[in-house]
Amino acid sequence: MTRWWHAWCDEVRHVLTDHAVLLVFGGGLLFYALLYPLPYHRNVPGEQAVAVLDHDRGALARQLVRWVDATPQIRITAQPRSLYEARALLAAGTVHGLLVIPEQFERDVYLGRPTTLSYAGDASYFLIYSNIVQGLVTAGTTLTVQTQVARALRSGENPARIPGQVMALRVTPEPVFNSSGGYINYIVPAVFALILHQTLLITAGSVTVKDRRRRAAGQMAAPPGMALMLRGLLFVLIYVFFALLYFGFFFALYDVPRVAPPWALLGVAGVFLASTTVCAMLIGYLVSRPELPTVVVLITSLPIVFTAGFAWPAQSLPAGLDALSWVLPARPGIQALLTLNQMGGGLAGVRDELLVLVVQGLVYALLLGKLVQRQTKKSVLPS
Amino acid sequence: MGRSGWQALRDDPWLLALVVWLPPLLTGLFIAVFASGLPRDLPVTVVDLDHSTASRALLRQLDASPALDTAHARASVKEGAFALRTGDSLALLVIPEHFEKDVRRGLSPRVEAYYNAQYLLAGKFIASALQESGADFAAHAGAAQRLAAGQHMPEVLAAVAPVRPQITALYNPAMSYARFLVTAIAPAVWQILIVTAMVLLLSRQLQREGLPESGPRRWRLLLRWCLPLTLVYWVQGLLMLGLFRHFVGWVPAGSVLILVPALLFTVLAVQSIALMILALAPDTVRALSLCAAYLAPAFAFMGITFPRGDMPALAVFWGNLMPSTHYVQLQVAVGDHAAPWSALWPSLLVLLLFLLPLPLALRALPSRMVAS
Repeated sequence: MTRWWHAWCDEVRHVLTDHAVLLVFGGGLLFYALLYPLPYHRNVPGEQAVAVLDHDRGALARQLVRWVDATPQIRITAQPRSLYEARALLAAGTVHGLLVIPEQFERDVYLGRPTTLSYAGDASYFLIYSNIVQGLVTAGTTLTVQTQVARALRSGENPARIPGQVMALRVTPEPVFNSSGGYINYIVPAVFALILHQTLLITAGSVTVKDRRRRAAGQMAAPPGMALMLRGLLFVLIYVFFALLYFGFFFALYDVPRVAPPWALLGVAGVFLASTTVCAMLIGYLVSRPELPTVVVLITSLPIVFTAGFAWPAQSLPAGLDALSWVLPARPGIQALLTLNQMGGGLAGVRDELLVLVVQGLVYALLLGKLVQRQTKKSVLPS
Repeated sequence: MGRSGWQALRDDPWLLALVVWLPPLLTGLFIAVFASGLPRDLPVTVVDLDHSTASRALLRQLDASPALDTAHARASVKEGAFALRTGDSLALLVIPEHFEKDVRRGLSPRVEAYYNAQYLLAGKFIASALQESGADFAAHAGAAQRLAAGQHMPEVLAAVAPVRPQITALYNPAMSYARFLVTAIAPAVWQILIVTAMVLLLSRQLQREGLPESGPRRWRLLLRWCLPLTLVYWVQGLLMLGLFRHFVGWVPAGSVLILVPALLFTVLAVQSIALMILALAPDTVRALSLCAAYLAPAFAFMGITFPRGDMPALAVFWGNLMPSTHYVQLQVAVGDHAAPWSALWPSLLVLLLFLLPLPLALRALPSRMVAS
């Protein structure tokens, strides 16, 4: 028993005396929690600047411009006189969208002749583009519906049938789980899980490399199996604390929905963190220098973001990459936490992800055992 | 004379990877991630409570959209909601009872649709695909009704689409996510690789060889260490643009020549940052942690996905502290907007500002380091 206690004290001491690890725990995790959501404090993009090129200049055109300006997505900031002028505004980034109202627009609409409204948006920025298009289409639809209803009434049609003739059916998709469609709710839950994953790989990985170095230098140490088990426990405990801080305090601070029952969240987070810790220790046995786990993390962060299924749909990934993305705990972990805490899928909804995390943990542990065995043998043999 | 950076590249496989084969490999990885260009076959759960010719026609219309995969029917709203909550599907569509009858009577029935906005990009994409297909179906059904009511064809056509919208996506006509995202992610990754390789190279050299405290030999040695990385990463930057051109349809509208010095200035700026960080934290692991804190979120701050105009001042400021932000602005201005020279030189100049603290960092850099 005292052997375990001594080994435990060793592990705690190694963490507490490692300045690089303390920098991550004391500063990094807090810094990241404040930094990553920083760009999205407004949550949804506000009104975007749009120019109107009005060739008609009639009352109906002015009405349309007012409607466009009234949408929450658009602010009319310029009324250029020519297409050339409008293009220059777009190229300079002064405006990000353009509405062109054709000549004789009003007359054509009232005579029931088909006419075309041209919308253009700056697709260098998709979010700006989609907002502008949404605003312009909304205003255009309002105009269409109003003129159609007016004409139908004028021509004496049965008022009861007018809704169906103007719009035979309505499909208006409603957002759920993140009903404001905001960026904070979208980015924060997934990226926070990723931050835990990545910093855990860095800290537990580098501590493991340093431990191997001490052993190789012939310093007294507990048997590797015992040390790894205790180190794993220590890091899971530390990270459960950070998970509580992130999913509890910071989610509340950012007003992110939290629908999972606390015990279920704790359990799933625990499995995720345990699997990640074993992965970190495995990396600690695969690389030879304490800075290399950080290098691995730096290289893999953006690839993980775009293959974990939240930023880019996993259904659209090529099959090979889709398979590859299940190698690290990040994807099942992020998916499980989102399903559980953001979407209210319950434990039944995260069964597959939990299974993957457990299998991953076991496979990492197996590989880790093999590596430890091999390296211990090597160090016993005279070299 | 100490060994040059070339030698270090040959000796350390990690350094070689970071400098030589990871830049094109990672760019290639992202090209592969977004190879489909647009999201495809996103799973939609359908609950058809009407089971009529009209409801089936609507489903066929939806399934014709390449973005949607409606092969996930459920019998009840409850089951459909479960599929949505567990992430098995990304949207739920409920066709109400009496749908066909209500369409025929001109009551404009409402088809309930919900999309998963937690997965915001996929969700919004599904929403607009559903809306578009719904509107197409409505136009046909409306025309059929008017014809049935005895109106004449030209009249019907004008009534169904009196004001036609013509939507143009400027600078990226196909609305390809590959072009939109890869051209911004790859420079962010390239920047991370530069800063990481610089820290690894410098710590390695400082551990093995060290520098004289001062004097011209100190500067010459540093130059011999860093210059190879400058050159290779510059070429890697140009190669990156070549990959954009060939694989994601990035055809610069303006003169790409301006990006040649811009890439060089970006490499130098990032190298200068690495020197500063190592001067502040002369320990490899800590220096890399600082690099991670500083440059790992670069992609979020460059304003491609979430507009910089809608960020708080602090986020704009933080974004300005990263070379990638200025480089990508230049790339968009040249590649998409074909902006005139007068709009470009300020960004080029800003990139050079990152070199201002360089003399101080070079002086503060320790002459020797011990391994972590």
